[in-house]
Amino acid sequence: MLPFIKEAVTGLFSKPSTEAYPFKPVEAPAGYRGRIVFHADQCISCGMCERVCAGGAITTHSEETEEGTLVTRRFFLGSCTFCGHCAAFCVKHAIELSQDYHMVARTEEELVVSGSYLKKKPAKKAEAACAAPEESTVKPREDGLPVNDTSKCVYCTLCAKKCPAGALTVDRKAKTWVLDEDKCIACGTCHDVCPKKAIIM
Amino acid sequence: MFKKLIDNSAARSPWLFHINAGSCNGCDIELVALLTPRYDVERLGFKLAGTPRHADIVVVTGPVTAQSKDRVLRTIAQVPDPKVIVTLGSCPRSCNVFRGSYSVVGPLDKYVPIDVSIAGCTPKPEAIIDGLALATQILKEKRGAK
Amino acid sequence: MEFLIKIVYILIFPGLLFSSVFGLWLAGIDRKVVARMQRRVGPPVLQPTYDFFKLLGKETIVPSCAARHTFLIAPYVGLISLVVTALFIPIGGLQAFGGMADMVVVLYLITIPSLAMIFGGSASASPFAGVGVSRSMVAIMAYELPLILVLLSIGRAAGGTYVTFSLERVTLYQQMFGSFLFDWRLIPAALAMLLVIPCEVGAHPFDVGEAETEICEGPLVEYSGAPLAVFKLSHAIKMFIMTALFCALFLGGISTGMLWLDVVIALALCSVVTLICMTLLHAITARLKVEQVFKFFWTVVSGLALVSLILVWFVD
Repeated sequence: MLPFIKEAVTGLFSKPSTEAYPFKPVEAPAGYRGRIVFHADQCISCGMCERVCAGGAITTHSEETEEGTLVTRRFFLGSCTFCGHCAAFCVKHAIELSQDYHMVARTEEELVVSGSYLKKKPAKKAEAACAAPEESTVKPREDGLPVNDTSKCVYCTLCAKKCPAGALTVDRKAKTWVLDEDKCIACGTCHDVCPKKAIIM
Repeated sequence: MFKKLIDNSAARSPWLFHINAGSCNGCDIELVALLTPRYDVERLGFKLAGTPRHADIVVVTGPVTAQSKDRVLRTIAQVPDPKVIVTLGSCPRSCNVFRGSYSVVGPLDKYVPIDVSIAGCTPKPEAIIDGLALATQILKEKRGAK
Repeated sequence: MEFLIKIVYILIFPGLLFSSVFGLWLAGIDRKVVARMQRRVGPPVLQPTYDFFKLLGKETIVPSCAARHTFLIAPYVGLISLVVTALFIPIGGLQAFGGMADMVVVLYLITIPSLAMIFGGSASASPFAGVGVSRSMVAIMAYELPLILVLLSIGRAAGGTYVTFSLERVTLYQQMFGSFLFDWRLIPAALAMLLVIPCEVGAHPFDVGEAETEICEGPLVEYSGAPLAVFKLSHAIKMFIMTALFCALFLGGISTGMLWLDVVIALALCSVVTLICMTLLHAITARLKVEQVFKFFWTVVSGLALVSLILVWFVD
């Protein structure tokens, strides 16, 4: 009993060990993981942060605009565990955990850290490569039978193989395409299978 | 004058009630750390009440598990007005890493409006003091509105 | 005129107003000094006052299965009986109401607040309150025996050849022959009384009935708003009443000739007694178990009081 009384009485006359926090600001210790800071300009949208986030706090929203894709990355601190995985996995060091611990909010929006950046469209040259093919000059026959556009035909013999009536004879070496008009039933299979769209009906 | 006296007193004596809705115990420990000599929130008038009937501020930790949901809601309903609901940590705000678990039915704002959320996993005791100060301010606003 | 003076006695000094203010102040310094002993800053001295006014502004909830009238009236019964007790206790020689056997009256009256809490708790129909009520009853039984023994030994010491039950006589005797605290025969009784005070008030380490961390403040578990404020006020006034009773019984011999100075000295002594028997005990002990409290009071504390009684009875 006596040592306790001694402790109590010395406590009474010594300085209290209380921090004067709300009246005196306190810095978080070095290495403290607090509010997330996102440097949007450094992001390359690899999506690694989103994949490693345990709490599912990181979401990405993209929007198509005239100049390209506007990517918005959103960090919801209300769902964050402050584990620092996203920062550790970010190859471009676009994510940083600051020492700011004052994360008190009345609404959900105050707890969101977000950043957006523009992902520009690829250059025009690539666009020309995949332009639509030109119209064929050969006119279809009036009786409904197939005609070969010899400027396009590569004599692959696919049409002859697929023909159900055996009406087509194609020679790859001699580059000839012969139609037996008596056998042809005008089914259109040759037109459908032609890889170069050389058969016109 | 009497009303003003009561209003001023209310801002100086907010009593807390702490509900653990399936928390991992991290936030609970940080909340209790506030009562230790180092932080000593009693100097600001805060006191941990033993029963919801005495409380002004309800502090909820944990991602509201299926087992605790009814108890949490019943306890919150027992707190006399005006009251403020504070979520401590990420779990009650969004279920955090427990989201999608078969036993978790949170987050808390599906059931009751949240007045203050303190983010962090777990928040630093200083951040909790900030949050409670904000809660006290809201308490005063609610009393004015009543 | 006499009637008006009595009204002043009842409402202002030493009745309702004064005992409330002084009780809340005592509760305030108790909390502050406990905090300082634990090396904390502690709440402001006015904290219990803030708590009281805040609770007045809160909603009062009555549980649906509670006995409504008993539940709401019980706190006021306790408060009124405490105010009446304050009138019977001489503070620095000033006694509002006196009589032949006011010691017995005080003995009964200071039980009523505890009983009021028991009634209120039982009326609230909460199992926590049930546990708290049974524990409070054990605590009452525990401190009642040593308190009676202490009062008996004081009565015998002041009465000479017979036992007196008049507090006025006790005060007069001490003013003539010196305070009882310095009478070696009554020192064990004084120690016993110092231990009875925290148990009666419901302070650490004898707060079995209102153990907030165990049974959610026991009988008070369902109270909120104004009735709770009144209970908290009663608790504060009880601190004042019990310390004033100690001062009247053991330190009544201080007389400077000026009544107001006597009263001020008595109030200062009240604060000192509070610091010794409640604050210091609160800071250095943890809560006892129910049976430990009972055993402690019926062996150690009663033993101390009994030693005093025997000494007073047989040694001149």
